[in-house]
Amino acid sequence: MKQRKLGAWLAILTALVVSSVYARNSIAQVSMPRIVFRDNTLPNGMRVLSAVDHSSPTVAIQVWYHVGSKDDPPGRSGFAHLFEHIMFKATKNMKSEMMDRLTEDVGGFNNAFTNPDVTVYYEVVPSNYLETLLWAEADRLSGLTVDEPNFKSERSVVEEEYRQSYLAPPYGMLEYLIEQQSFTTHPYRRPTIGSIEDLEAASLADVRKFHETFYRPDNATLIVVGDFDPKQLDAWVAKYMAAIPKPPLPLPRVNMKEPERSAERRITHFAGNVPLPAIALTYLTPAEKSPDAEPLQVAATILAQGESSRLYKSLIYDQQIAQSADATPDLREDASVFYFNVVLATGKKPEDVERALLAELKKMQDAPVSAAELDKAKNQLVTTELRQRETSNGKALALGSSAVLLGDPNRVNTDLARLQAVTAADVQRVMKKYFTAANRLVIYYLPETAKPPGTGAPGANGQKGGQGK
Amino acid sequence: MKTLKLFKLDRVATALPATSSLFLLALCLSLPAAARAQTPQATPPPPAPPRSVQFPKPVEKTLANGLRVIVIERAGAPLVAAQLLIKVGGEVDPPELAGLSNMTADLLTKGTEKRTATQIAEAIEALGGSRDSAARWDATRVGVNVMSSKASPALEILADVVRRPTFKEEEIERLRQQTLDDLTVELGEPGSIARYVAARTVFGDAPYGHPLAGTPESITRITRDDFLKYHRRWYRPDNAILVLGGDVKVKNAFALAQQYFGDWKKPAEPLPPLPAPKPMTSVEPRVVVVDKPDAGQAAVLVARAGIDRSDPDYFRGLVANSVLSGYSGRLNQEIRIKRGLSYGAGSLLDTRRNIGPFIASAQTKNQSAAQVAELLLGEVSRLATAPVPDIELNPRKAVVIGNFARNLETVAGLVTQVGTLALYSISFDEINRYIANVQNVTASDVQRFASSHLDAKSTSIVIVGNAKEFLPELRKKYPQVEVIPMAQLDLNTALLRKKQAAN
Repeated sequence: MKQRKLGAWLAILTALVVSSVYARNSIAQVSMPRIVFRDNTLPNGMRVLSAVDHSSPTVAIQVWYHVGSKDDPPGRSGFAHLFEHIMFKATKNMKSEMMDRLTEDVGGFNNAFTNPDVTVYYEVVPSNYLETLLWAEADRLSGLTVDEPNFKSERSVVEEEYRQSYLAPPYGMLEYLIEQQSFTTHPYRRPTIGSIEDLEAASLADVRKFHETFYRPDNATLIVVGDFDPKQLDAWVAKYMAAIPKPPLPLPRVNMKEPERSAERRITHFAGNVPLPAIALTYLTPAEKSPDAEPLQVAATILAQGESSRLYKSLIYDQQIAQSADATPDLREDASVFYFNVVLATGKKPEDVERALLAELKKMQDAPVSAAELDKAKNQLVTTELRQRETSNGKALALGSSAVLLGDPNRVNTDLARLQAVTAADVQRVMKKYFTAANRLVIYYLPETAKPPGTGAPGANGQKGGQGK
Repeated sequence: MKTLKLFKLDRVATALPATSSLFLLALCLSLPAAARAQTPQATPPPPAPPRSVQFPKPVEKTLANGLRVIVIERAGAPLVAAQLLIKVGGEVDPPELAGLSNMTADLLTKGTEKRTATQIAEAIEALGGSRDSAARWDATRVGVNVMSSKASPALEILADVVRRPTFKEEEIERLRQQTLDDLTVELGEPGSIARYVAARTVFGDAPYGHPLAGTPESITRITRDDFLKYHRRWYRPDNAILVLGGDVKVKNAFALAQQYFGDWKKPAEPLPPLPAPKPMTSVEPRVVVVDKPDAGQAAVLVARAGIDRSDPDYFRGLVANSVLSGYSGRLNQEIRIKRGLSYGAGSLLDTRRNIGPFIASAQTKNQSAAQVAELLLGEVSRLATAPVPDIELNPRKAVVIGNFARNLETVAGLVTQVGTLALYSISFDEINRYIANVQNVTASDVQRFASSHLDAKSTSIVIVGNAKEFLPELRKKYPQVEVIPMAQLDLNTALLRKKQAAN
C-alpha cells in the first residue's frame, strides 16, 4: 500500500463526517480544508492549475507530462524514465544541472518521477524564485541540447538505478516480475525501469524524437501551489509558457486493450539472494477512473494496512507463516493490477502460505466486512491523505493526479465523498468480481538452492525478455 | 519487503538528501536543438525579494512527577502528532543483549494490562494512526499522528502502552521469531550489511558498535526478565519527554498530558546514571570486504568517528557535510554526475549524545567498487586540503537551511525536531538562531573541521559485494584488506569473523 496513488481520491471537504468506531452514535467532525484552485487552459493547450497557500514562504511548481513508460518506443523499454533524467541536462539556455542551481542552491529542491502513465517534474523553492522556475520549465519544454558524453553518463546512472532498485535488494526482481508478468498485451508489460539491453540501445536521436513527440504544451499540466500572487502568476505564465507553440502533429496514444485473463497462470522463479522464499498473487482490475477503484482501495486497506489488518492478523500474527504481507491496488490509467506479495517466515512452505492467503480472500468474498473495519479503513485512508496534503508539494501532487489521471481536477475535492460512500456490500462485490482463480497470476520466488536437481533453465523460463520489442 | 516500490522511479532516491555540483561540465558536441520555440529570454529572471520565515514557539512545563511536556501549537492541517521520548536507547544495551532497547520498544504495543496486541493495533488504526514505537541510539520514541479530533483517545493509548506493557511470554516468542526473520531479510541487503560492519570498524566493541536491532545470537538470548528490568529502570516520568504539536490549543494539550500521564508514578529509587561517555579509544582504521557473490551491486562505504550533538563545532560540521553530501554535493558530483558510477552518493554526520559516526557511501556495480571507494576517500580528504570557495559554500549553506525549514513544515517533522532538541537539552532558541548559525560558518571553519574531524587517514573502508570483481584492484592499494565470506560474518564482535573460521 504505502504511498500508491492515493492522490486519486484524496479529497477534502470542509466538514467531513467520519464516524468513530468507539462511539457509533457520536460523530466526529473533521474539518478539512478544501483546496481552492484556479483552472485555466492556455491557447497552446497547456493546462494551468494553481492554488494559493501563504502558510510558508515557499512555492511548489510541478509539470505533469502525460507520457509514461507505456509510451516507451519499441525496443526502448525504460526510455520514458531515462528521458526524465535527461531533462536535467542542457537546454538552449541552461547548462546541464542548471535546474539544481536554480533550486538546491537557493535552499529549495527538485525531483521527478516516471510511472507507467505520467512523468512529473517538481520543484519547491523560496517563493521569490517562482518566476525563475517558470522560465526554466518553459526552457526545457522548448527543447534539449544534451550532448553525447552527458547522455551516456546519465544512462549509466539509470543502469545503476536498475541495479540499486532491482538487483541489490533481496526482493527487487520479484517486483520486476510482478510488473512484467501481470500484463500480456498492453505495454504495461514492460517494466518502467526497462532492461539494460534496451537502455544501452537508446541514442540521442531517440531523445530528440521523444521530446518532439510528447513534450509539448498540449500534453503538459502546470501546477503551482504556495505563496504567490495570482495576477503575477498569470503574467509570468503568459510570458513564458503561452509563447511555446503547439505542434501540428497529433499526440500518439496507447490504445491497446489488455485481454481478460481466462485461466490461472503460475510461475516459479529461482534467484540468488533470496533470504526467505516469497510469493506474489496478481489480479487484473479496472482502470483508475472506474467506480470500483475506491472499493478496491478500501479492500487493500482492510487486508493489509497495519497490524490490525486481516493479512497481518492471520498470516503474521496468528499462523506465524509470513514475515511480511502487502496488498497494493496499483491503480493505472488503462488497466490496474491488484497484487499481494508475501515473504515467508523461516521454514514455511509457499503452498501453505498461498492457501492461507486465498482463504483470507475467500472470507472477504463470503461475508461483508464489519462496520468497524470499514470505518477504520476510511480513517486510515483519510489520515494518510491529510498528511500528504500538509505541504504545498503534496497538494500539487493531489491536484495533478486528479487532473491528469482522473481527467477532472475537482476530484481533489470530491473524492472523499466517493470514499465515504463505499459500503461493505461494495467491498464484497469487488472481492467476488475480481479475485477469481481465472484472473490470478501466482509467482513463487524461491532461492536457487531450492531448485530441484536436473532443472537447468530458470523457473521463469520462457517468460523473460518478453518486453515488447 | 517493507518498502515495496510502487513502480514509480524517481530522479533521485528520495531517502537520499538531494544535492549536485558547481562544476558544470564543459559542453561539447552539442546536439542541434530540437527547439520549436524561442523562450522569451536567455537568462533566468532574477528572484524577487525574499520573505521572512517564522517558526512556531514551543511552550513547556514539567508535571509534578517530573515528566517534561512540550507543546507546539500550529493551525493548518487538522492533524496532531504526539511523541513520548524515553531518554535512553540502544546505547544502554548490555553487549551480550544487543537489541534489548529495540525489542522492548516493539513489545510496548504487544499487550498491556487492559488490551491485547490485536486490540492495541485495532484501537490505534481505528483512529487512523499506526503503531509507531522504536528505539534509536539515545532515545526510544513512541508516537501517534492522527486527525486532531482523535487526539484524546490516541493519547490514552499512548499512555497505556508506555506505562503498562505486560511483556507476555507468548508475545516475546512471537516477536523474537519475527525479529530473526526481519534480520534474515535485512542481511540480504548489501547496504544494510555495510552499515552494520562500519559501526564495528568505528566503535569496536563499545556502545554504538552493535546492530541496534540486535544480532541473531543476542536476540535469542534476551529473556522476559530482561525486558521487565529494562522497563522498570528506564521507563519513568522523570526520564521522559512528551511533545505534542499541531492543531491543538496549548491549554488543552497540557490538560491531556495531565489526564493521561499525571498519575504516572515516579519510582522512589533514583534514576540510574547514564553510562559516562568513554573517550573514543583510538580504533585502527580497517579495510573490510564482505564477500557476497550473489550481490547484484556493491555497497561501498567509508566511516570514522564524527562529533557528538553538543559539540561546539556542530554547525561547522553540518555545513562541511553538506559540501560533500546532497544531490550537488561533491560526492554525488564526482561519482554520479561526472562519472555515472552510482544512482547516488552522499554522506551523513550522525550526531548523538556521544560521538557518532561520519559515513560516506554509494552503491555501484561490483566492478567499480574499488574506484568508488577511492573517490569517496578522495573527496573527504580534499575538504581538509583547501578552503571551499564561497561560490560553492554559499549554495551548500542554503541547502542546510532549506532542509531544516522543510523539516518543520509537517506536524510530525516539527514534533520530532523539537523532541530532539529537548532530548539533548538544547535551548529551543536554536530553532530561531539556526539560519544565522549556518550562515556564520566560514570556509576556514569547514577546512578546520575537516582537518580535525574528517581525517581520511583514520577512516575505514567497507565494501559488501561480489569480491572477485573488485578485490584485485583494492588489494593493490590496501594489501591489508580483510576479506570475510558472508557466511563467516559475525556482527557480535569487532572481530567480525566467526571464531571457528578465524584460522
